[in-house]
Amino acid sequence: MLTWGVVVALAIGVYCQRLVGAIALDPARLGARAQAVVNHIPIAILSAVIALQTLSSNGELTGDARIFGIGTAVLLASRKAPMFVTVVAAAAVTAIVRTLA
Amino acid sequence: MGDTDGSVGHDRFVRHVPADTQLTRGEAWTIGFTYFTLAITVSIVHSTAGTEPWVIVVATLMVNSATATLAYAAVTSAGGGTVAGVASGWLVSTRFGLMAAALGPRLWPSRWKRAIAAFGAFDPNVALAVREQRDTDVRRVYVSVTLWLVLPWWVGAMLGILVGEQIGDPQRLGLDAMFPAMFVAILWPQLKTKTALTVGLLAVIVALALVEPSPGGLPVLLAALAALLAVKDAR
Repeated sequence: MLTWGVVVALAIGVYCQRLVGAIALDPARLGARAQAVVNHIPIAILSAVIALQTLSSNGELTGDARIFGIGTAVLLASRKAPMFVTVVAAAAVTAIVRTLA
Repeated sequence: MGDTDGSVGHDRFVRHVPADTQLTRGEAWTIGFTYFTLAITVSIVHSTAGTEPWVIVVATLMVNSATATLAYAAVTSAGGGTVAGVASGWLVSTRFGLMAAALGPRLWPSRWKRAIAAFGAFDPNVALAVREQRDTDVRRVYVSVTLWLVLPWWVGAMLGILVGEQIGDPQRLGLDAMFPAMFVAILWPQLKTKTALTVGLLAVIVALALVEPSPGGLPVLLAALAALLAVKDAR
């Protein structure tokens, strides 16, 4: 259960992380190597979050209907389907498999 | 390092998708729709855990991270203390700090503008912004996508409080698959180079290997280190 104190603590903590991130790196002093690494951070984070939200629940590895939904999403994205189709199809397939299982 | 004049006058009130960028109208609508439904489900989770409606609304507006509030709810509902819950919330949201760091060098030179922009650093807006070539376009796309996700996010959170009981279990509708599916759609076109593909695969392996032995947030944080593989690309 969230309380006012918890909300304030989370808000300050999360914002400070974003603030440090946004102002920490000085573009003028960032070399080519650092720039290449920084450019790939979103790819690494998105990949990790996809894997965890597909194959884990509450810190434990699981296999459920989401695998079929995200599998569908990968198939559609690789065929250059519109993002909306990809997202809705993933939810629909997950819901159908979950109902049947 | 591109242009840094920050001349985005005609986009000062971005309500639409900025012209001449890679961002499409379809992507913008999908992100808005996904965050809208996500916010409804998050509200339901917090309502179920006994959080007061107004606290949920303020948490949505101020914390700006479902990852953090859900981690807190998960820890405390499993019997953990308040301090452990807050610490867990901070840890899982370290990824937004990293996303902000990836965006930072291409934002406005002004520290004040960066400080304001940092508040809305999520995954999709940063990932879609940094694919632009010119720094001015990075800023336009970032501001636009931030509005496209934050506004539906806030509206969805309030709606979730009002209609949450009618919807019932969001998992029945497969809503938990929408968020990762949206990430797949954003990520896929960015896996064009061998380096990008290797970074993505390594991040997946690290995250899955660490999810059970380490506390929430740490797997993503350490998976982000996979980006170091890109060092060999620079010359």
